[in-house]
Amino acid sequence: MSELLKVEQVAKAMEGLGTVDAMKPNRIRVATTPAKVKEAVQRALKDLKCDHVVQIAAVDNGKSFELIYNLTGPHHTVVSILLELPRDKPEVPTASDLLPPAGLYERQIHDLLGIVFVGHPNLKRIILNEDWPENEFPMRKDWKPNPNTFYGGVHTEEAK
Amino acid sequence: MTLSQRLANWARMKSPWITLFNSGACNACDIEVIAALTPRFDVERFGILAKGSPRHADILIVTGPVTRKQAPRLRRIWEQMPEPKYVIAMGACGAFGGVFRGLYHVVDGVENVIPVDVFVAGCPPRPDEVINAVVACLGLLKEDLARGGKEWRAKKTKVIERVEAKEGAQPAPAKPSEAST
Repeated sequence: MSELLKVEQVAKAMEGLGTVDAMKPNRIRVATTPAKVKEAVQRALKDLKCDHVVQIAAVDNGKSFELIYNLTGPHHTVVSILLELPRDKPEVPTASDLLPPAGLYERQIHDLLGIVFVGHPNLKRIILNEDWPENEFPMRKDWKPNPNTFYGGVHTEEAK
Repeated sequence: MTLSQRLANWARMKSPWITLFNSGACNACDIEVIAALTPRFDVERFGILAKGSPRHADILIVTGPVTRKQAPRLRRIWEQMPEPKYVIAMGACGAFGGVFRGLYHVVDGVENVIPVDVFVAGCPPRPDEVINAVVACLGLLKEDLARGGKEWRAKKTKVIERVEAKEGAQPAPAKPSEAST
């Protein structure tokens, strides 16, 4: 299994899920939709032997959110599953039941960008401090700190 | 001053025990502090020993900006230290937040959480500057013992504030009269 995956192989496996193109010989991109992402991850897992999640990248491009699932396996080809989420309803089905390590990345993305992974068993706070206010997502492009809100840490009166 | 107090003060001057706390540093300051403890710089000639527990330490070295997650923990660790205790804030981040100043997850400098006695400049400061800061803390300790506490340093700033307030209050009533004439 040391040979790289070919675009045709990936295109055949991902039939009906979206467009497939190769950015580099070892990097193949699959652009899909939120509804079909679970099917795409499952097919990558079963048909393409992508058993390892490198990372899930999340981007706020100002208009919408983008998620990129980078999966790889013994063939050393990175299969990137791209999808775009609307800003007003950022919900996507979780991949943590198929790939348990994805759950950690999903918790992190939920913490910083407020994307809801439907069906995640434990979508708790992981990276921000415990006393961070609810419904504030610091990695969103339109987020601004409110001067009247206490964002955690030590109260200044207490320190002095 | 009783004999036991004099003995304790003498021992404190001869051997300050330090503890290191990373409040969100990038690890460069920690490496420099650890380098200062190595035989090359040989801090034991000043009797300086690194201790694992803040309850045994006289001097707390805080490295890095204080993240919101670490701020309550830093405060709790500082509260656990026995008096007289001294705090050294390492580097640009410890002084005012450094490159992390104003970010969503930091409360900037160490002084926003605990009172700091000595600031060390640099990014990161060299090990000999760390030793210099510890020796400066010993100078402060000696002065504090002679003056019977840390208040003489705190008072100084308070007096300046009062003088400024008085000066601010005096010209205020004079201004309308100037405008009227």
